[in-house]
Amino acid sequence: MTNTLTDRQEFFGGFREILPLSFGAGIYGLAFGLLASQAYMGSLEVGVMGTFVFAGASQIIAVERVVAGAGSIVAVLAGVALNLRLLLITASIRDIFVGRPFWQVALGAHLTTDENWALMLSARARHQQAGYWYLVGAGLNLILIWVLATVAGVYFASAIPEPRALGMDFAFTAAFIAIARSLWSGRSDLIPWCVAVAVVTGLIVPGVVDASWALICGGVAGALAAGIRDNG
Amino acid sequence: MDNFLFLILPLALVTFAIRLSGVVLGQRLPQEGVWARALKALPGSLIVSLVTVSLLSGGPMEWAAGCVALAVAIVTRNLLATMAAGIGAIWLLRYVAV
Repeated sequence: MTNTLTDRQEFFGGFREILPLSFGAGIYGLAFGLLASQAYMGSLEVGVMGTFVFAGASQIIAVERVVAGAGSIVAVLAGVALNLRLLLITASIRDIFVGRPFWQVALGAHLTTDENWALMLSARARHQQAGYWYLVGAGLNLILIWVLATVAGVYFASAIPEPRALGMDFAFTAAFIAIARSLWSGRSDLIPWCVAVAVVTGLIVPGVVDASWALICGGVAGALAAGIRDNG
Repeated sequence: MDNFLFLILPLALVTFAIRLSGVVLGQRLPQEGVWARALKALPGSLIVSLVTVSLLSGGPMEWAAGCVALAVAIVTRNLLATMAAGIGAIWLLRYVAV
């Protein structure tokens, strides 16, 4: 890949192209704000949480547990289990962190979410130049929308319909279907992807493990299938 | 703020540690061989797993909407069009079903 774009152009490319996903995150952010207000969290707490945790699903599940009367240890553990996948996510894009100063690694790692990570890979699959600054630009857009929406949700969310009533609960599923499509590189993906689907289904349907662990097992199993198959 | 300090602070610290550990793990894994190839295939299988998890949490209506989204994704290869089709399909299915 030739580097023809400047860092700034990549940054704004990411910032712009994440918008449909940021919109989806914003709708969830409003819903999260409403949930947080039910846990008697104030707008400052919600803003701080969004800025420093910046992992929507884990925030939702942790606060849900608090609303349900659980203690903070239980709530934190539920959120952490959901975030373990982020280890695989940042590991899988190791090339963009190579040779960067620590502050850039820390910033990039903190701003990495499912959405901008997947979008960056999708852009690369289309032979677009998308690296560290693309990820950071998209991540910055997401964190801005997320924090603003969650804080706004504390005040206004009761006036806004639930994501599910708008069909918005399906926004990310559809987005990841589109991104999977763009990552499809031919028949060599067939076996790893089938392994991933089979492992996730085999673990979730009988209720063997929690969905957050099934996701990790499916991802790793599919990846290992690809790694072992091409051996030799 | 005090009430939520024990919720926000540990969740923020552990989440950041997880993200940073992934970067370290990625740098430590070999640059070639089984692990390198596995790491290269990881994003695709992780995204497919994500979609599977979220479809399994729904029912036949979600599966049907997933098929619509997949068809649109294959034909258009467009993120926004796929999202619009998926959201539209699930909204319509739920509207008709009620």
